Amino acid sequence: MITMLLQLNNIFKWVNSGGQRIFLLKDLSLKVEEGEFISVMGPSGSGKSTLLNVIGMLDNFDEGEYDFLHESVHTLKEKHLATLYKQYIGFVFQAYHLIDELTVYENLEMPLLYKKISGSERKALVADMLDRFNIVGKQKLFPTQLSGGQQQLVGVARALITSPKLILADEPTGNLNSKQGEEIMEIFKQLNDEGVTIIQATHSEKNAAYGSRIINLLDGRMV
Amino acid sequence: MFKNHLKIAWRNLKRNPLLSLINILGLSTGMASAFLIYFWVSDEIMVDKFHVNEPNLYQVMMKSEENGMIRTLDGTQGPLSEAMEKDLPEVEHAITVMDLEKEGMGITFKSEENLFKAGGLFASKTFFDAFTFPLVRGTASQVLKDKDAVVISESFAVKLFGSVENAMNRKMDYNVFGNEQSAKITGVFKNVPSNSTLQFNFVATKQKLLEDMWTNGQVWTNTGPSTYVLLKPNVDIAAFNSKIERFIDKYDEFNTFSLFTRKFSDAYLKGNYENGVQSGGRITYAKLFSFVALLVLLIACINFMNLSTARVSRRFKEIGIKKTVGSTKRNLIIQFLTESIFITFISLLLAIVMVMLLIPVFNYITGKEFGIHLIFQHLSILLLATLLTGFISGSYPAFYLSSFSPLATLKGKLQSKGSELFARKGLVVFQFMASLVLIISVLIINDQVDFALTKPIGYQKKNMIHFDLEWKAYENAPLLFDEIEKIDGVESAGGISESLIREDGGSSTYGLEWPGKAENLEIDFVLRRVDESLIRTLNIEMVEGDAFTQELGSPESYLVLNEEAINLMGLTDPIGKKIQLWGEDKTILGVMKNFHTASVMQPISPVVFRYAPKNLDLAMVRIQRGTEVKTVERIKQVYTDYNPGFNFNFAFQDQSVNAQYLNEQRILSLSRYFAFLAIFISCLGLFGLAAFNTELRTKEIGIRKVLGSSSLEILKLLSSDFMKLIVLSIALAIPIAWYAMNDWLLQFAYKITIGWWVFAVSGILAIVIAMITISFQAIKAARANPVKSLRTE
Repeated sequence: MITMLLQLNNIFKWVNSGGQRIFLLKDLSLKVEEGEFISVMGPSGSGKSTLLNVIGMLDNFDEGEYDFLHESVHTLKEKHLATLYKQYIGFVFQAYHLIDELTVYENLEMPLLYKKISGSERKALVADMLDRFNIVGKQKLFPTQLSGGQQQLVGVARALITSPKLILADEPTGNLNSKQGEEIMEIFKQLNDEGVTIIQATHSEKNAAYGSRIINLLDGRMV
Repeated sequence: MFKNHLKIAWRNLKRNPLLSLINILGLSTGMASAFLIYFWVSDEIMVDKFHVNEPNLYQVMMKSEENGMIRTLDGTQGPLSEAMEKDLPEVEHAITVMDLEKEGMGITFKSEENLFKAGGLFASKTFFDAFTFPLVRGTASQVLKDKDAVVISESFAVKLFGSVENAMNRKMDYNVFGNEQSAKITGVFKNVPSNSTLQFNFVATKQKLLEDMWTNGQVWTNTGPSTYVLLKPNVDIAAFNSKIERFIDKYDEFNTFSLFTRKFSDAYLKGNYENGVQSGGRITYAKLFSFVALLVLLIACINFMNLSTARVSRRFKEIGIKKTVGSTKRNLIIQFLTESIFITFISLLLAIVMVMLLIPVFNYITGKEFGIHLIFQHLSILLLATLLTGFISGSYPAFYLSSFSPLATLKGKLQSKGSELFARKGLVVFQFMASLVLIISVLIINDQVDFALTKPIGYQKKNMIHFDLEWKAYENAPLLFDEIEKIDGVESAGGISESLIREDGGSSTYGLEWPGKAENLEIDFVLRRVDESLIRTLNIEMVEGDAFTQELGSPESYLVLNEEAINLMGLTDPIGKKIQLWGEDKTILGVMKNFHTASVMQPISPVVFRYAPKNLDLAMVRIQRGTEVKTVERIKQVYTDYNPGFNFNFAFQDQSVNAQYLNEQRILSLSRYFAFLAIFISCLGLFGLAAFNTELRTKEIGIRKVLGSSSLEILKLLSSDFMKLIVLSIALAIPIAWYAMNDWLLQFAYKITIGWWVFAVSGILAIVIAMITISFQAIKAARANPVKSLRTE
């Protein structure tokens, strides 16, 4: 049985600059089913990040409709949105975005704190993640003490720890060398096999090939 | 979650040690000064509040109208208390209290061969029932029953008899006004606490005073002692006041006094009356310094806000990440408040250490006796204040930081809005303005105190000692003076009835009549009895006529007045004019140049000297310069020949004169500390804003340098903005300070004029200090490699 995860209908997003309207997303429609692995491709400024941010509810749009698990995102209030993405979406960033003041362990624990998960359960979940990504030995280190690949590993682990249905990855390998990048992509593939839906933005044809579907963007339109 | 907040707070502190130190140092200095002032004010407020009957204890005061001005007196009639207790059902107890020491009359006690001077009270029988001075021996209602009873303090008992037990029922001889009296000790009270305005070593009976020593006190036309009433519960005080207004008419129909009551515990803080209306007192300073302490604390809080928002870009990523993983705005607000409260608690620890170190200095300035235990006694208030400080200083950063959208913070695309920068600049202007007002005030107070200390008083105060004439020295004053004048190094010695330095002028009289005196004109003349050498001893300049001499035959029939007295009387060609003192004919012998009988800041009073070489209480001795130590030693020998076993207590006249300005001097030193603290904390804040501004303009500075700007130009660019702020705060501070200080100076008849240099000096000082502060950041930014700053994009 195939379940619809999210659906974008005729989404427009623009900014006004010097009396001109510049479209960041233009009449974009997209259906994503659970279990898909989508790669979004396109040159710089084509709207890849904007699309991911809109899907991740970090950014709003100006026209169109967006349904996520049968909830109309365009009608929801900010607080409700936060609960929605907190529960179902995990983010992975190009620049890892770990909190420098927290150790690996504490970084992983943070999303659980916001979900008000009990202490013992948090401990178990973090231990699972450390184990799964083979970073048990690094749990007491701070992000600055890790290599880029290791930091991104922690970033992925943090995104996964709340067991989201959807992972949004914006150029996850952009700051990594090819070997490290390959490792991350292997992990994504593995996750996808386990049923997690993944949408990644990427420049690399090779990485895009991991996906089950490729979307090409140019000037905010799908081509 | 909470643990997580604390962790991040702590690691943030460690990451920016310099900024953290500045932050904590500023907050703890502000808190320490606020705590000290809090201790001081709460101590001031508690004075006289320890009496169990405090809510119903009142002092009876008198008003009388003289020459269109209402004079307020606390000296009442001797028989008043009994009459009130008899006639007024509202009165539970009425108590007469006479403090002879306050009136300038010493009491000498004799125990075996030792003589002691001590201050004490003569009071009604119910004194210990009304006031809470616990007795360790004797019962409150019984101890003052007998006319010859005396109750003494524990320490006085130990001093006189070695122990409290030994003192009970002992006979004790004492000497007042040259009369020898004796009393039996019927009780011992615990030493009077320092927060009591009534200070005494013994309490004897009013009956003894009025029957054996001061019989004039029995009539309704003489005033002197204080009268206190303990009212029954639930008496309407306004109704009571209107009831007693003309109370004395029944007993003395010609009196000009109207009675009213004042809360007993108000005397200390609100003791001043101006034209019959309560016009503050020490409460003014308590309020003033509370305000200043809050101001300093507020300046410290503003720092915290400025410094936290200055560091904001370092926190952007954290805020963005937290928001994307599901933190709500509320979570973040709580986090930042937790952080600021955490920092204020660290500051609290430092503040407590500062308070401990500063208590001795603070005691020295304020004349209090605070101990470290106060910190623990007031701990709950301190904790509450800390929590509040943390909340106030954390509120702005918390709401400001948590309002960012996660995307903007993650991308670092955030531009400060003009309004935010304006608010922060406004805070800096406020800080500097407040600090400048304090600095200008300190300079002006300093000027006025200097003026008071150096203004010629009108007679010689340098190389002049004074000491009380007691016991045998009192009885044989002329002989004593002869012997003292024989000592090498003594230039002149003379006697006077009481000191010329008295807050209210001391003894005075309305009883002078002269030809051409307008009807209804009442002038209060300062009156002193002197011997023939006093005017010479004090080097008072004669404008006309002569001083008293034996050659006059009967010098008692002459008076010597000062210029102000002649002026007020409207006499021309006064020498030889006949006038009357208390109905007796006198001749004006001489006119003295004006001199001060109170603070030099008060107006000159009219003074009358009359000749009465017996029964003088005070000796004045002028000593040759450079021989003080040796000469005083010789005088002491002569004095103790008369009074063996006596402590010879003397003081230099200039020091006694300057002691009058203790209050002003205390205010001056306190203000100095606060002005320093304010400018110090403000500079920390400016440092923070400079750091913030430089951070904002890193890219701009980089581009400018790439395009060829020199470091000096960058320095100018970064400083000029702040200099505008400083100049603005100077412009705002000057009128405020001028207005406030002008108001303060109004209370003095003799005062400095505020010079423009005060404003110039403080303005230049502010600019220099600010310049140094800003340069730290600006030089760093100007010299940085532009490639680095541009690469961070």
